[in-house]
This record gives sequence, C-alpha cells and structure tokens, in this order.
Amino acid sequence: MDRSKRQASGFLARVMKDHRKNDNDGNKEKTIVLKEVWKVFGPRCKEAAEAAKRDALTKEEVFHRFGCTVGLADCSFDVFPGETFCIMGLSGSGKSTLVRHINRLIEPTSGRILVLGKDILDIGKEELRAMRSHHIGMVFQHMELLPHCSVRDNVSLPLRWRGESRALCWETAQRCLDSVGLENEGERFPHELSGGMKQRVGIARALAADPDILLMDEPFSALDPLIRTQLQDDFIKLSIALKKTTVFITHDFSEAIRLGDRIAVMKDGRVVQIGTPEDIVINPINSYVKEFVEKISKIKLMSARSIMKDISKYPPSFYGGTINLSPRVPFNTYIDRLIDIASETDAPIIVCDEEKKDVGVIDKTILLKSIQRS
Amino acid sequence: MDQSKDFHSNHSNHSKKLLEQVGTFVRRNETYYKKEFSKIQKSVDFPFSWNTAAALLGPFWNASRGLWGSFWCFLLLELFVAVQMGRVLWHESETTNQTLFILIFLLLLTIKIWEGFFANILYEKRYLSWLIDPDRVSSGQKMSRAALGGLFFLCLYPMTIFRFAVTNPDEILSRWTHGFLGDKIPITLPPFKREFFSVLAKWADGVFEWLAVNWNGLFEGITAAIISVLGGLEAILIQTPWPVTLFLILILAFQLAGRRVALFTGGCLIYLLLMGLWEMSMMTVALIGTGSALCILIGIPIGVALGRNSKANALAGPILDFMQTMPAFVYLIPIIAFFGTGKPPGVLATIIFAIPPIIRLTALGIRNVPGPTKEAARAFGCSEWQLLKDVEIPLAMPSIMTGVNQTILMSLSMVVIASLIGAEGLGALILESLQYAAKGQGLLAGLAILFCAMTIDRITQGPYRK
Repeated sequence: MDRSKRQASGFLARVMKDHRKNDNDGNKEKTIVLKEVWKVFGPRCKEAAEAAKRDALTKEEVFHRFGCTVGLADCSFDVFPGETFCIMGLSGSGKSTLVRHINRLIEPTSGRILVLGKDILDIGKEELRAMRSHHIGMVFQHMELLPHCSVRDNVSLPLRWRGESRALCWETAQRCLDSVGLENEGERFPHELSGGMKQRVGIARALAADPDILLMDEPFSALDPLIRTQLQDDFIKLSIALKKTTVFITHDFSEAIRLGDRIAVMKDGRVVQIGTPEDIVINPINSYVKEFVEKISKIKLMSARSIMKDISKYPPSFYGGTINLSPRVPFNTYIDRLIDIASETDAPIIVCDEEKKDVGVIDKTILLKSIQRS
Repeated sequence: MDQSKDFHSNHSNHSKKLLEQVGTFVRRNETYYKKEFSKIQKSVDFPFSWNTAAALLGPFWNASRGLWGSFWCFLLLELFVAVQMGRVLWHESETTNQTLFILIFLLLLTIKIWEGFFANILYEKRYLSWLIDPDRVSSGQKMSRAALGGLFFLCLYPMTIFRFAVTNPDEILSRWTHGFLGDKIPITLPPFKREFFSVLAKWADGVFEWLAVNWNGLFEGITAAIISVLGGLEAILIQTPWPVTLFLILILAFQLAGRRVALFTGGCLIYLLLMGLWEMSMMTVALIGTGSALCILIGIPIGVALGRNSKANALAGPILDFMQTMPAFVYLIPIIAFFGTGKPPGVLATIIFAIPPIIRLTALGIRNVPGPTKEAARAFGCSEWQLLKDVEIPLAMPSIMTGVNQTILMSLSMVVIASLIGAEGLGALILESLQYAAKGQGLLAGLAILFCAMTIDRITQGPYRK
C-alpha cells in the first residue's frame, strides 16, 4: 500500500490502541512482572550480583573484581495485558538476555519473574513446558526454522509437541499461514523462501499455539528495509486483531516508537526509562535517551494535548465570533493530522477531551512552533 | 608532487622511529646495529649484512642473545662437521685422507659464512617482535644464556663425536672407568633388553586366562547375540534359492535407491554369478552385514550420548583412537582367547575396528546442531526426547549417514583379517591368494569385495541421497 495509506493505518491503529488501553485503566492484571532481576555471567556470578547490588558497582568494576560480566542489572517492569511493550537498546544492552528470562530460557542470578501470575522460577519442568507450549510464543531474529520440515510442519510444531491431533495441527497451521499472507506456501521448504517470508512463517509458528504472550527478539532486524516496513505494518494489524500481549525487542528507536504502546530503553543491562512513545519523546530522562529522540521526526508522535494552550487562558471574548467555526479535535490527535486540518481553515483548532468538553486551543503560531521544536 | 614528497619524508621519519630503541634492545654496539638494521629494512633482495662475531662464536652468539632457534640449527650443523672431523682424525684403522679433510674444512667454512650472514637478519626480526612485546621477548646479551648454550654443547658433542670416531666406544669407555660399571657401558645401544617385558607379558597371560575362565558367561552371551543376527542374515542370503535372493536384492536396490543403483547392483551380482563367487560373496555380505548392523545399533546411541555430554566425549576420545589405530592383529589375540575361532569372533573384530567412525560422526553431528535452533525448540515447549527426535537427529543426519557409510566400508576392509581367524567367504579366498601368490585370483576376489562394498553402500545411502 502507498505511503499515505500506511501512515493513516498506523495512526488509526495508534488511536484505537490508546482507547483500548484507557479502557483497562481500572482493572489491570499484569501479564508479566519483573522485579529486580539480575543476570551475571561467570563462575562467581551470585557473589558478583550481591556485591553489585550492595555497593552499586558499574559493569567494569564487576568485571575487574570478579571476572564476571553483568548482563542485566536490577531490571524491573510490568507488562499489561494486550499491550505491545517494546524494549529498545543498542547491542550489549541486555535486551535479548532480558526477553529470554521471560520464558526462562536463561536463568536469572537473582530477582522475581511472574508470568500470568505464576512465579516461573518456582514451577517444575513439566509446568514450564506447558507454559511455553500453551501461553508463550517466540519469534527469533534469524527465524530458526527447521530445514527438514515443510512450512506447514514448522508452523504446527508447537502443537505437535503439545500432543494435539494431526487434523487440528493441519487446520491451525493453515489458519495461521492465512493470517500472515502465506496461504499457498504450506508445502514449501524454508530454503525456498525469502527472508521476509521466512519470518512470516516464524510469526505464524508463534501464533499457532494461540499463546497469551508473544516474545519477539528483533524479528525484523535481519530483513531489508522495505520488507521490514511491510512486516511492521502487518504486525500492527495482527496485534490489533489478536489482542496479544507482546514484548518486542529492537535496536531501532523509530521501530520502537512506531510499534510500541510503551517503551523501555536499556543501556548496559539497566532499564533507563519506561514510558509511552510520547513520554519518552517529550521528556527524555537523560542525554542517552535524548540522543535517540533527536534523530527521529516527532510530528507523528506529539499529540494535541501536549502542545495546546489551556482554553481558560483565553479571554471570554474569544467565545464569541469564530468559535463555532473552529474545527474540533480529540486531544490525542497528532501534529501530523493537525497540519492537515490547519491547512484547510484560518480558524484556530479547538481541542476536546473524552467528554467532548473544550479544553484547549491550538492556533497557527502554536502549531508552527511545535513543528519547529520537533 | 608535494604529496609524494610528504609521503617519502614520512616514510623516512617512520623508519627513524622504528630504529630509536635499538640501543635499549642490543645494549652493546648500538651504532653498528643501528646501521645494519637500517640496511636490512631498506633492502629489497637479500641484505648482505656480515657479522664477524656471529661467524666466529657460532651457536654461542645466538645463545647469548636468546635466539634459540638458530642456536640449535647451527649447533647441530657444527656437530655434524665435528663428528666428521673426529672420524677422520681419531679413527684408528683408516688412513688420513687429505681430500676428505679439506672437504670437511670447506663445509665448516660454509656453515660459518651462513652464520655470519644470517645473524643480523634474525636479530633484526627479534628486535621487531621485541618492540611489540618488550616484557615477553628477550633482549640484550646474557652470559647465563651463553653458559646454557655451553651446557648443551657439552651434553651433545663429546659423546657423539666419541661414538662415531672409535670402533668400540662401549668397551673403550669401560676400560677408562676400570670396569666400574661393567665391561660394556651402553652408549651405542640402550641398556635394557626385554627383561621387564617378559615378566609383564607373563603376568598379562595370567590375566587373560583368568578372564577367559571367569567371564565365560559374558563371552558366550556376546557370541550368542552375534550368531543370532548372523544366522538370520545367512538364512536369507545363502539358504534361500539364488534366483529369489537375486530378485529380492534388485527390488531392494530399486525401491531404496532408484533405477541407476538397481542396474549397478544387477551388474555386480552378474559378475559374482559368472565368477562362481556367489556363495562366498553372500557369506561375506552376511558377515559384513551383521558387523555393520551391530555397529550402527550400538554406535548411534553411544554417539548421541557423547554428542550431548562434552565431558564424556573428551573421555571417549582416546578410547576411540585406541580402537582405530591398534593393529587389528593385536586385538585378535584376546578375541581368540575369549571367543575361539570362527565367524562370531570375526564379526567381533570387525565391530571393534569399524565402530569408531559411526560413534565419532554421530557425536560430531549432534554437537554441530546450531544452539539457537535448539533454543527455539525449547522455547516452544519440547521435551528432551522431542528435541532429540525432531531437531537434533534430523539435523545431524548428514553426519550420521557419513558415519554409516564409513562403518560399512571399514567393515569390508576387515574381511581378510576376519578370515584369518576362521571366517569364511571372500576373505578366505584372498588369504589363499596371498599364501600362494596367486595374483590373478587375488585381483578378481578383491574386485568381488569392492563390488559388494559399493553395492551395500549405494543401497544403504539410497533413501537419504534421493
């Protein structure tokens, strides 16, 4: 699809997601909880973790004193049901290590990890297997498809390992392949597919078991840019339709901004900042985050709410005259859309809240200055 | 133009910098070495840099500077010259040969010239490595090193020259020490004869006899197992009427491996029929088949276990090496002691020889399954058995099939040895050819074995290669 349509669908998706999140405000059962998780690699890892906690040591200090590498340092965050939680960081920031703790492919040195209310460090081997095959699906950067199995067999693997009937496996696999756009590729083999198609198979496989949680470890990083954008779009559509809780790992800040409901920025094993894309873009917590923010265009991220002037600051005379001709927009409209509206009228834009009450004004000066700032 | 001038001036600055630390490195004669190293670095072909001290002092010049590689080279070259000199000068019976003397002297001169011209080149190389790692690489000249060189010299030269110079070094030595250590000091031949050897061999005999009696049950059990498989194969291959067997083999080849292999098999079988080697070949095939089947049955599980456990793999390595490199004749002896002669011991010898490839290659295949693929499988909740069945073994298949192929071929190479201890078949025919030097017979029998080998291999690889 062409660029403007894609932008529109992304925008629409974001609006819908915001609404959905706000609906859940009251009753939040957290899907994934990480509390003070540490991961240290090396023979004296437990000792090193204790010392690092006690004395607030840096990564280099731990390496010098104990010869151990700190993978994760004091990571804590929650993931809410249905949201796409992006974890973003450079190579070596610990993001891949972190995501592998959620399904316990890696054991933490210390800390608590709760998945769907269960402490996964406490459960037995069989329960962990059941958790993995029923509730968690994973997509890998290099796809990791089995070369000797057909596409359909690859997709139905989790179901076969779970013990489902052959008919169910076949049916479910076909359904998943349909949902990622590979209806006719069931009999092909991985080596016959392109990178983008292979990753679609990976996504289909992760969805086959109908898990509650999707873990995606840099799924699009190994693909070329055009395919990447396409798959990002498809992923957005899928995640709205399926309402799965997703933890999405990426090193690309603009990808995180585009896909995430909330983002966690990581550096050297620590979580530096957690927030909505808007929060992070408007209030980067330190110069490290600021560096990422500065490199992207923000007009699709800043909403009317963050740039509007409070309507109470305008004199009552303003309420006469042009007010009824002014276009009204919800407060989560992005600057992108505001520019379109402003270019069609001379009147200032009025911003409304959920109850359709007028709360703020955006005139041309405010709009232009905010574009300048972005 | 300007740029190239800059480049060249940078170049000479760079080489000046490179030679800055020569003084620290050589400690003495800094100016001389600076000049020589600079000459070497600037040269394109062989740099003719002569060092008189190196030529005169020879190996000891190298030793004192820690150039041990060249020290040993020159020490041994000069030893050769010294030995020749010794032979000419001190040999009691031969007359002194003037020409020989001059030749030896010329040889010494050549070596000395070599030493003189190579010294600085080697020294300069050492200087460059010292620049990179001044703490680890040796520098300067130390008398202690020269003394060590002297010690090596004393250890090697006197005894060697003496040994080559006189006719009866052992006796002369003993005369000098007044028979202190006996009437012959053994420097020509080693002192120990086979005294300890015989004692140990007798003791080992005793152990074998004890084992043969007390573990008889185990050995009979193994023999029974082998006989059952062997018997089954023989019944199919030998006792069934030959047209039926021929037909079955062709069908098997066609089904498993396709038309080409079936045609090839047909050709081989016709050869065996025409040469009248059918029955013998079938006996050999039964033997090989049993050996290979048992190898594969036992070997693949062991290989899988070793592939997954790296400690066990390290332990098993030497044992497998032992099984492969020991001459088969060596383990034929205990096999005869425990199992007697005939076909089962032949099969057993074949198994011992042919099992290492399949174990090793299976272990290798399992080890080479990519970690991320296994991680992905675990992330989808597979059990250890499902991991093995659906991921590890299929991905290790190329390696495993290579192992099967190698095992079959190595089993076939054991036929002659197996026939030594009573196994019948083509091996016995070849043995006969060897004993009677019947060349033509040996060649034809050998071809028959080759055809059997290739046929079995193509058929068993068939389903995989298709």
